[in-house]
Amino acid sequence: MKKKFYTRRDFLKESSAAVAAGTLYLNMPRKLLAQELKKEKVVLIRAKDLLDDSKKVRADNIAAMLDKAVMTLYGTSEPLTAWQQIIKPQDIVGIKSNVWGYLPTPPELEKAIKHRVMEVGVAEKNISIKDRGLLSDKVFLNATALINTRPMRTHHWSGVGTLLKNYIMFVKNPSAYHGDTCADLATIWKLPLVKDKTRLNILVMITPLFHSVGPHDFNSQYTWVYNGLIVGQDPVAVDATGVRILIAKRKEYFKEDRPLNPPPKHIFLADTRHHLGTADPTKIELIKLGWQENILI
Amino acid sequence: MIASNINLEEFLPESVDVWQSEGEGRYYDRQTLYEYINGGAELYLSYGFFCSINKIYQQSGQPDIIVDIFDMGSSENAFGVFSHSRETNDKQFGQGSQYTSGLLLYWKDRFYISILASPETAESKRAVFQLASQIEKAIPHKGSIPEIVDQLPPEGLIQESIKYFKHHIWLNSYYFISDENILHITEKTEAVMAKYQKNDNKTILLLVRYPDQEKAVLAYDYFLRNFVPEMKEGLTYQIEDGSWVACKLDGSLIKVVFNASEEQNALELLGTIKQKNK
Repeated sequence: MKKKFYTRRDFLKESSAAVAAGTLYLNMPRKLLAQELKKEKVVLIRAKDLLDDSKKVRADNIAAMLDKAVMTLYGTSEPLTAWQQIIKPQDIVGIKSNVWGYLPTPPELEKAIKHRVMEVGVAEKNISIKDRGLLSDKVFLNATALINTRPMRTHHWSGVGTLLKNYIMFVKNPSAYHGDTCADLATIWKLPLVKDKTRLNILVMITPLFHSVGPHDFNSQYTWVYNGLIVGQDPVAVDATGVRILIAKRKEYFKEDRPLNPPPKHIFLADTRHHLGTADPTKIELIKLGWQENILI
Repeated sequence: MIASNINLEEFLPESVDVWQSEGEGRYYDRQTLYEYINGGAELYLSYGFFCSINKIYQQSGQPDIIVDIFDMGSSENAFGVFSHSRETNDKQFGQGSQYTSGLLLYWKDRFYISILASPETAESKRAVFQLASQIEKAIPHKGSIPEIVDQLPPEGLIQESIKYFKHHIWLNSYYFISDENILHITEKTEAVMAKYQKNDNKTILLLVRYPDQEKAVLAYDYFLRNFVPEMKEGLTYQIEDGSWVACKLDGSLIKVVFNASEEQNALELLGTIKQKNK
């Protein structure tokens, strides 16, 4: 009978699925296998000068980062031609953002996304940027395309706040998805309001939170200036890449292996149980652009 | 100590330094805590959360001071939730506290208190400490630390690493063991985990006490089958990364040592676990 769970020793024994999970649960190096499979493209872009002296996001810089990431992802030399592959003028576009007070999606990024979507030809009335209240928003209720963006952070119950988790606002009763540390969040992505509509995932890694303390999760002590965006079509691959950076940061900060607690089970199961995408680094083509110092991956 | 209907508002002053409270506090119970801290509520629920109050103090030009008092139902649970995320062992407030960059966390009796003012200023830090002191004085009694914590051998123990819990999710706090409940930990079991320094190696000791020996035997058997099936005889086994695991069933108590660099160290730690104080 197939085993339904993993232990530390399964990871250490390096079966392929265990290694994929191990890179999320432990500080394990990616397994070096020659794979002929088509790999999921994920772009990590960083800019040293993204923030100004008051730690505010420079609007022009984040727009340029987004453009470069999207052009790389779609293999174009102009941002518009890349965005034309993502969005069509007749689309109704929901931009799923995140308003968590301590670490929201930067408004400068939201504006940059909206600008490109409008440039493609989508009418402004057919674009909505929202986190809460999606279920009463006409654009989201009728959306033909979704763009998903949020900052990555540790979380007391799901291990990490991810792009996968960002869609929890599409359900009426989010706590119904808390079972087994939010293991099955990927099922939300199969609901009719969401299924097959997500065109782009943008994980914000500007000042990620790598450790949670207290009821509000947040403490500035456990954030750092990384100045990155991770962009891709596969939310599982993008989240898995972000988690590897958080795990590396935790090891650097705590000077010892410190697993995410709880483990980010929902990312791994989004791959192995729900087949939404890949969490396996051997199946991800990670393209690193821009500032390389202390990249941690 | 069993929870009762204490008016948590009575612990909170109207003002602190030049900060004024915005009005009455907001109460949350096990059903409504999600409305306040969303999925973060599960952490507190896993530690027996009973109810809480939240109040905000404001002063122009300064960060808000956000205070939360959690009635965890018992001092063991209050200690447990405090132990969950502490990194230091500061005793400035209550029965244990931690302050980092605008966030003060401490526990006293069956209460877990969080006071946050972010970004920190010199003035807000002073006010946070003043408020913490006022709340501490308003809580009349001290609580007891879980008995199982006293069973940890003192030699080499890293005090601030002690974590007490009653939910299997927290089993992986220092060392990923499994994504399943392979030790059958429930709200009726008590678990404590701590790190021990031995030269350059940090060994992890886990103790789990079950309601009766029968449950402990079942859990022990399940753990052996799924984590160290090779351990047919003896107490130790060297796993794939070269570290040693040692474990023993002692009545209703399971003792496990993880990540020992040498077999002898694992056995020594296992052998020095104190007997229950009865």
